[in-house]
Amino acid sequence: MLLRYIFFRALMLIPVSISISVVIFMIVHLLPGDPIDNLIRVGSSPDDRAALITKYGLDQPLVVQYFKWIGAMFQGDFGEAIVLRRPVADLIAQNLPYSLTLGGLAFAFSSIVGIILGTISATTRSTLVEQVVRGFILLGSTVPGFWLALLMILFFAVQLQWFPVSGAKGWDSLVLPVLTIGFGGVALVARVTRVALLDARREDFVTLLHAKGLPARAILTGHLMPHAMLPVVTILALRIGWILGGAVTVEFVFGRPGLGSLLIRALGQRDYPVVQGCLLMLALAVMLGTLIGDVAQAAMDPRIREAKK
Amino acid sequence: MRFATKTKLLSGTALITLGFLSTAALAQEASIAFASGELGATSYNPVTSSNLNSATSLIYDRLVEQDADQSYHPHLATSWEEAADGMSWTFKLKDGVTFHDGTAFNAQSVADWIPDFAETENAYLVGAVASVEVIDDLTVKFVMSRPEPNLLYNLASSFMGVPGAAAYDSMGEDFGVTGAVGTGPFKLESFSIGLETVLVRNDDYAWASDLSENQGAAHLERVTFREIPDQSTAFLELKTGGIDVLLGVPTDFLQILKAESNVTVIQMPGTGINYMPINVTAAPFDDIKVREATGLAINQEAIVASIYNGVGAPAHNFLIASLPEAEVDPSLNVSHDLDRANALLEDAGWVMGDDGVRIKDGAPLSVKLFTQNGTEFTSLTQVVQAQLADIGMQAEITVFDSSTIRDEYKNNRHQLAVRGYDWNNSDILDWFFSGERLGYPNVSMWKDEEGQRLNDVAMKDSKNSAERIANFKAYHEYVLSQHLFVPIYQPTTNIAYNSERVNVPDPVRGTRFRSQTVLDMTVVE
Repeated sequence: MLLRYIFFRALMLIPVSISISVVIFMIVHLLPGDPIDNLIRVGSSPDDRAALITKYGLDQPLVVQYFKWIGAMFQGDFGEAIVLRRPVADLIAQNLPYSLTLGGLAFAFSSIVGIILGTISATTRSTLVEQVVRGFILLGSTVPGFWLALLMILFFAVQLQWFPVSGAKGWDSLVLPVLTIGFGGVALVARVTRVALLDARREDFVTLLHAKGLPARAILTGHLMPHAMLPVVTILALRIGWILGGAVTVEFVFGRPGLGSLLIRALGQRDYPVVQGCLLMLALAVMLGTLIGDVAQAAMDPRIREAKK
Repeated sequence: MRFATKTKLLSGTALITLGFLSTAALAQEASIAFASGELGATSYNPVTSSNLNSATSLIYDRLVEQDADQSYHPHLATSWEEAADGMSWTFKLKDGVTFHDGTAFNAQSVADWIPDFAETENAYLVGAVASVEVIDDLTVKFVMSRPEPNLLYNLASSFMGVPGAAAYDSMGEDFGVTGAVGTGPFKLESFSIGLETVLVRNDDYAWASDLSENQGAAHLERVTFREIPDQSTAFLELKTGGIDVLLGVPTDFLQILKAESNVTVIQMPGTGINYMPINVTAAPFDDIKVREATGLAINQEAIVASIYNGVGAPAHNFLIASLPEAEVDPSLNVSHDLDRANALLEDAGWVMGDDGVRIKDGAPLSVKLFTQNGTEFTSLTQVVQAQLADIGMQAEITVFDSSTIRDEYKNNRHQLAVRGYDWNNSDILDWFFSGERLGYPNVSMWKDEEGQRLNDVAMKDSKNSAERIANFKAYHEYVLSQHLFVPIYQPTTNIAYNSERVNVPDPVRGTRFRSQTVLDMTVVE
C-alpha cells in the first residue's frame, strides 16, 4: 500500500519539475542585464561582443534557447558557464559538499535540540524553564543570521579564540556556522514541537490514558510524541531543500563556498546556465524534501495514505 | 577540582603545542586574502579565463612587466624591438628559464602559446598578431596584421602569463583547475574554488624582473591565498592573525585598520577613476552649457578631504595621472567653479527659483542620479547630490545592482550616474566614448562624427607608441571639450598587512600587487 503511494507521489515529480524548469528559465532570462557585459573587457571590440552573443546562442528566441537547455539537461548535461568559464556540473559538484556538510549538520543540530527544547517547554512545570525556552525561541526566530554570525565571530573567534574566524578547513571551522544557522532552526522546531505537544495533550484519548492511571512519562513517549511528530516532520521535510541553499548570508560572512554563494555570484553576473542549474538543484531538493515528508507522514499515519489513494 | 587541574594541564599543553606550531609556521609562510574584486576565479588558465586573481601572477611569468609609472620592464623577454612600420615585433628571451614541469622556456614556447588564444574570449589581446616566427632558440618575432602599439600593455597583463605548452595540451580542460604549469616563482599546490589557493616555492627560480630586489627564489616557502567575501570578516582575520596580508582594503576601512597596532597599511597609486557620466541625449543635458555647469558644480578637493580623509587624489580629467595621455591642455581639466556654473545656467535660461531649484519654462531643474549598490559609491553619490544642489540642480538618487544598471543605460533611462572604472590604459576612452557602444559602456550616449574620427585614428592608425599617445591625447582633449562626464576621484589601492608577521616592501612596485612584491616579502623573525 505504502509503496504504491510512494510510486504515484514520485511520478508526480516529473510534470512538476518540467513546469518549474520553465518558470526558472523565464525568470532568469527576463531579468534585466546579460552575461556578455560581465565577460568582455576593455580592449575588445563591439564585433567581439556580437560574436559572443551568437556563440552562446543568446540571439535566438527564448523558446529555442529553453529547449536546447532542457534537452541537454535530460541527457545529464548542465551546460557550460558563460562568465565562470567552467562546466556547470563541475561548479555545482565543487560547491555541493560544502553546502551538504554545513546544511546537514545544522539540520541535525536544529532538529535534535529543537525537539528536546520544545518537549521540555511543553511538559515542564517550572515556569522559569518555560520562560527561558520561550525567550530562546523568540530570539532564535527573530535574530538575523548575518548579525548573529558576526557576534559569534567576535565572541568565540576574536575574544576567546576557540575557533577560526572564517574558512572551511577542518571541523573547527564548522562549529560557528552550524551554530549560527542552527539557532534559527532550533527555535522553529522547538516552537512547532511545543505547540503540537500542547495540542495533543488536550485530546480526549490523553485524558482517558491519564484516567487509566498510565504514568505521565509513558503517555509522553508512547502516545503524545508520535501524535505530535506529524507537524514536526512536515516542517523538517520542508527544511531539507533549505539545507542546500539557505545559508547564503552565513556562507558570505564565514567565507565558505557553497551552492548559495555560487548562485548569488552567478546571479549578479547573469551567468544563465549556472543560475538555472543551481535553481533547478534547489527546486529538486525542496521537492524531494516534500516527498520524504509526505511519505514519512503516510508511514506514520494510515489515514493520510488512505485519504490520498 | 581534579577536573579543573586536568583541564588546565591540557590547555597548557595545547598552548605549548600551539606556540611550537606557530614558530614553525612563522618559518616561511604567509596567507593573503584577495581583494573583493578578484574573488570567484574558477580557473588559473590565463588563456581562457575571464577572471584572474593576483595568485595567477605568481604561477606564470610574463614576457614584459609594467611598473606603477606605466613604464615597461623586461622579464621573460630581455629586450624587444618594434619595426619602424609597426608590422613586426622581435623579442629576445631570457636564457635558462624552465617551466615547473622541467621543460625549457624558449622561442618555441612562445610560438606554441600565442595560437592557443584563437577562438577564446581573450583572443583580442593578440588580435593584431598574424603569426609568431621562431628566429632562433631565444629570439621570437611577432608578425603583425596591423600595427599594435599597445602590444606591450597586453603582454604585461595577467592573461598573458606564459603557460607550459606540454602541460597545457595534455591537461586540456583541467589546466589551471587541478594543476598548472608556468615559469613563475611559485607552483600551484592546491586550488579549492571559492575558498583558497595554496602555492609552494619554485626553488629553481632565478629569473625575476628588475621590479624585485630579490632575483632568486622567493623568501616565502608557501603562500596561501584566501577568498573572504565579507570585508568585516577579512578585517577580523587580519587582526587575529588568521591572514597576514589583506589586499584591496576599501578606503573607508583605513581609519579602523590604522588604529590596530599590528597592522600597517600601504597605499599604491590606484588604476582607476570615479566619475559621473552625463547622458547627452537626455534633456536638460542635451544643452552643453548645462553639462559644463554640472561639471563645475563638483568640488573634487572637498570630496577627497571629506569622504576619503585625504587618501587618493582628485580627478580632473578621464585618465589616471600616471598615463601620459592625462597631460591635456590645463584649460580642459574640470575643476570646481560655482560662479561660472551659475552664470552658464543663467545663460542657458535656467533661473533660480525661490526654493533653491532652478526653473526653465515652468519646469524645475530636477534630474535622476543613478548609482550601483555597494558601499563604495553610497556616500560619494550623496555628496555629489548635495554639491549639485549648490547650483540649483535637484538630483534624485536611485540605486541599482550592477547588471540592472547596465540595462537602464542601454534603454536610455538615465541622466546622471556615479560610477567608477579600473583600467590603466588610454583605450578606456574608446571603451566609454565610442559611438559603437551607446548605452553601455558609452553611458554618455555620445555619438559624434569628429569624436569617432579621432577615436578611429587613435585606435587603428597609431603606428607606434609615441603616435598612439599623441592620438589618444587629442581624442581625450576633444572628449573633455564636449563635457560628457564629470571626473571626481582617483582612489588608491590599499594593502594592509600584519607587521608582526610579515614584511611587505613599500612602495609596492608594478601596477598591482603581484609576484614582484611577493618575491621580496619576508617573515618577521
